[in-house]
Amino acid sequence: MKRRTFSLLFMVVTFSFILIPWNIARADSDYAGSEACKDCHEAYYKGFAQSVHGKKAVPGNPANREGCESCHGPGAQHIEKGGGKGVAIIVFGRKTDANTRDSKCLACHGEAKEFPFWNLSRHKSAQIACDNCHSIHAAVKGKDFLKAQEPDLCFGCHRNIRGQTNKQSHHPIREGKIKCSSCHNPMGTANVKAMIKADSVNELCYKCHAEKRGPYAFEHTPVPENCLYCHEIHGSNHSRLLVRKVPLLCQNCHNDGGHPGNPYTNLHSFRGSATSGKNRFFGRSCLNCHGNIHGSSLSPAFVR
Amino acid sequence: MVSLLPLFSAFPEDRVVEGDLSLKPIWASVDGKEGGEAKFTEYRDLREAGGFYGRARLNLDTEKYFLDFKAGDFGYDTQYYKIGGGLWGIFKADLFYNEIPHNITFDARSTFSGAGHDTLVGTPNTNVAGWETFDYSVERRQYGGNLKIDVIRPFFAGLSFQREERDGIKPIGAAETSPGGIAFELPEPIHYVTNNLKVEAGYAKKPLFLSLGYIRSDFNNSDTTLNLPANFAAPNALSLPPDNNYQKGSFKGAVRLPFNSRFSTNIGFSTGESDTSAVSLITSGYSGKVNTQNYDLALTSNPVRFLDAKAYYKYYKRDNKSDDPLGVANIFLDYKISTLGGDLGLRLPLNFYLSGGYKYITTERHKEGETDPVEILPFNTDNIYFGNIKWSGLEFLDVKVGYENFDRNAKYRTFESEVNPAKRYYYAAQNKDTYKATVDIFPLENLNFGLEYRYKQIDYSDTTFGLRKDKRHEIGTSADYIIGKIAKVYGYGDFGWIKFNQLQSSGAGLPWEADQKENSWGYGIGTEVYIIPSKLTLIFQHDYLKSNGNVDYTLAGGLFGAGGLPAFPTANNENIDMARWDDYTLYTFKIKAVYNFTKCLSASIGYAFERFEYKDAQLGDYNFVPAGPPNSNAAFLTGAYKDQSYKANLVFGSLSFKY
Repeated sequence: MKRRTFSLLFMVVTFSFILIPWNIARADSDYAGSEACKDCHEAYYKGFAQSVHGKKAVPGNPANREGCESCHGPGAQHIEKGGGKGVAIIVFGRKTDANTRDSKCLACHGEAKEFPFWNLSRHKSAQIACDNCHSIHAAVKGKDFLKAQEPDLCFGCHRNIRGQTNKQSHHPIREGKIKCSSCHNPMGTANVKAMIKADSVNELCYKCHAEKRGPYAFEHTPVPENCLYCHEIHGSNHSRLLVRKVPLLCQNCHNDGGHPGNPYTNLHSFRGSATSGKNRFFGRSCLNCHGNIHGSSLSPAFVR
Repeated sequence: MVSLLPLFSAFPEDRVVEGDLSLKPIWASVDGKEGGEAKFTEYRDLREAGGFYGRARLNLDTEKYFLDFKAGDFGYDTQYYKIGGGLWGIFKADLFYNEIPHNITFDARSTFSGAGHDTLVGTPNTNVAGWETFDYSVERRQYGGNLKIDVIRPFFAGLSFQREERDGIKPIGAAETSPGGIAFELPEPIHYVTNNLKVEAGYAKKPLFLSLGYIRSDFNNSDTTLNLPANFAAPNALSLPPDNNYQKGSFKGAVRLPFNSRFSTNIGFSTGESDTSAVSLITSGYSGKVNTQNYDLALTSNPVRFLDAKAYYKYYKRDNKSDDPLGVANIFLDYKISTLGGDLGLRLPLNFYLSGGYKYITTERHKEGETDPVEILPFNTDNIYFGNIKWSGLEFLDVKVGYENFDRNAKYRTFESEVNPAKRYYYAAQNKDTYKATVDIFPLENLNFGLEYRYKQIDYSDTTFGLRKDKRHEIGTSADYIIGKIAKVYGYGDFGWIKFNQLQSSGAGLPWEADQKENSWGYGIGTEVYIIPSKLTLIFQHDYLKSNGNVDYTLAGGLFGAGGLPAFPTANNENIDMARWDDYTLYTFKIKAVYNFTKCLSASIGYAFERFEYKDAQLGDYNFVPAGPPNSNAAFLTGAYKDQSYKANLVFGSLSFKY
């Protein structure tokens, strides 16, 4: 008996979660029309009407449906109650949970070709909703409705990446020649963690660095596996975006006998008092001889 | 853009036309040597005399059509042009042109002549003043177009083409003899052309999304060898990147399922081939070919409001199918990576959101043709656990804390590789802990403050020789405050502390240890003061960035007096440390006044100062031909990355017209 009561209770609770919001939406199906919204919210209405969402030429657009109420829900009760922020109307912002806010956008964009993988997006997992980055009514210029330009928009949350892109060796991100969205799709890709626009890190890097793609007759083993083993892609204190400085970076792996394992110290600098091995330290260090470090057609030691 | 003006009248009354035109004269005074001038203009085109920089933008929007045009930096190495347009709901198309410079060092020098070409000639000499000068600089010119067709809804199709031409010179190195000998830094000619074509077509209508894609990329290098003078041992040529082509076919799909669930997949197959026939010295008949396969499968579900769930699987395989008939290039890397994971998110009472997950990754590497048992690479299994909790219980506060543990196990496949004390960090067993905490406060609608802290520690537990520890702290903060119609104040601060520890075995088998430390910090503050609202605005911005690195060496006593190090006590563990390890300071300051004559016409005038100071143990006291016994210390260098410090004063103005 206890077990049956528990089962019944469980089903009631579960179905309540699913059905209650749906019933509320159904009960309030009383649309006032966009013209009624315009009476009080003229600036918002004007922005909407001039935006892509306001174009009747686009099939399925809010302009061809319930206008403002396509996103904000039926507004008759809102008007009856004298208006007010969030009074009998859906508002976008922190008070409304991320899934509810997203559901309004995904009602039309759920199968959009630009972001079929929003469900896999790390932003979604972190409860970042569409309106955290996009604003239909107060966007900066552009057809993406972004609240700010890249990369500042992204740096608002990704402060550690901002710190890295400010370092002396960096991709031209702050110079505006590369955007975060050049490599990442913030709306999600099949790459669950970093949302990169490729099936692997190397495939992404080769889009701009096609010369590294090879395949080379002599491969440097870590290179075809992952560029990030040696490069800090958002920015580094070390030239060429290296994760650590050569020769110590190379010595992290090359500990074999002979010169790779030897210590090259301050005394091996241009004015240092060491008497040999200095050309393995000063200038570009290991790369003074092993120039083809990404791969070679002629030399297994990458010196040709 | 003037030629576009007649189009305006072709559109109906409801058109919206807006845009701007601006001209920005800049005068610059740069105090820096070869490397400094290049560093100042690393990704920009701004030389001593400055210039006039123009920008134009036009947006035309009607109920049925749109046209966007933007362009800027006309005639400079950073110029860009993009024109796009379309019929709403029917198609979109654009054409673009973009240039990206990358300046490394100006007026570098080579003992050989022929910089920028595929043959270097001459005999090494020490008269640096008589050497040929050239710039280490690479320019990318990208142009292409995109077309997206929407009229066939729910079907769609897209086509894009991009061609990139890359020209310039970058540094490369070669040993005079192999192995060892005098090191020669050389100018590598860059004359690359890459053509990329992408086609995609699909179907998108609830509950289904399907897409087929094809990518082809052809890379061509005009110089696949750099012919070296006769003093270089055979082969006296340096191989440069061979021509290659890459093709990929892909399928993406997603379908909605009951219980607010969705199944997604992404499948891709690629083939990359390189053509070394132009590398004249290759006689092995090597023919490069690599195939990859990728499968992503994911199921996400949000069956009840308080639960988000995700399960996913990824399989990625690289198969090196290169042909090497004479067995010259006999080590090819194949690998397979499988990832299986699941995430859960729970919306809890009191505005808590709890999320966590687990990921299991296996990596199998095979070096085909590898006969050295020490070099047989291990298989890895990674177990990753993570959890986050976010609290948004107050209207003015968000707090988030998270933790991730990454545990890697390395399974060695030969006795020799297992007992080898030297382990390479990219496959070595490791345990990584990452902690992060974020606080975002917005007590007022016009005041925001954010603070983020991250701590990461990696222990390479099985490594005796190699990288053993990686530890880092990162703090980032930002704030902005809008004081009514009076001013806006904003700022940020970043701090990073990194420490690496590695233990090495010297050529003579004696141990030595190095601790690398990097301290980086930076801040920026800025304000916009609306002196006469809507008329006169004063803008001030200051940024500061500093990095201080060092290496603390500890050598076994027997190493002093060996490997070129002076004998103890001349050299000891106190005087071998590196105090300057990519140390730099970047200081910038900008002040600008903007005056709006009308709603359409505005002008600005300003002054900026930039100072970059760079010091490094490897580049300090630079010498193009360092003295030393031949075949041991000697090198012929070109000055790459030398003297990167600079100071620059800039005076600028602008005249802008908005319409």
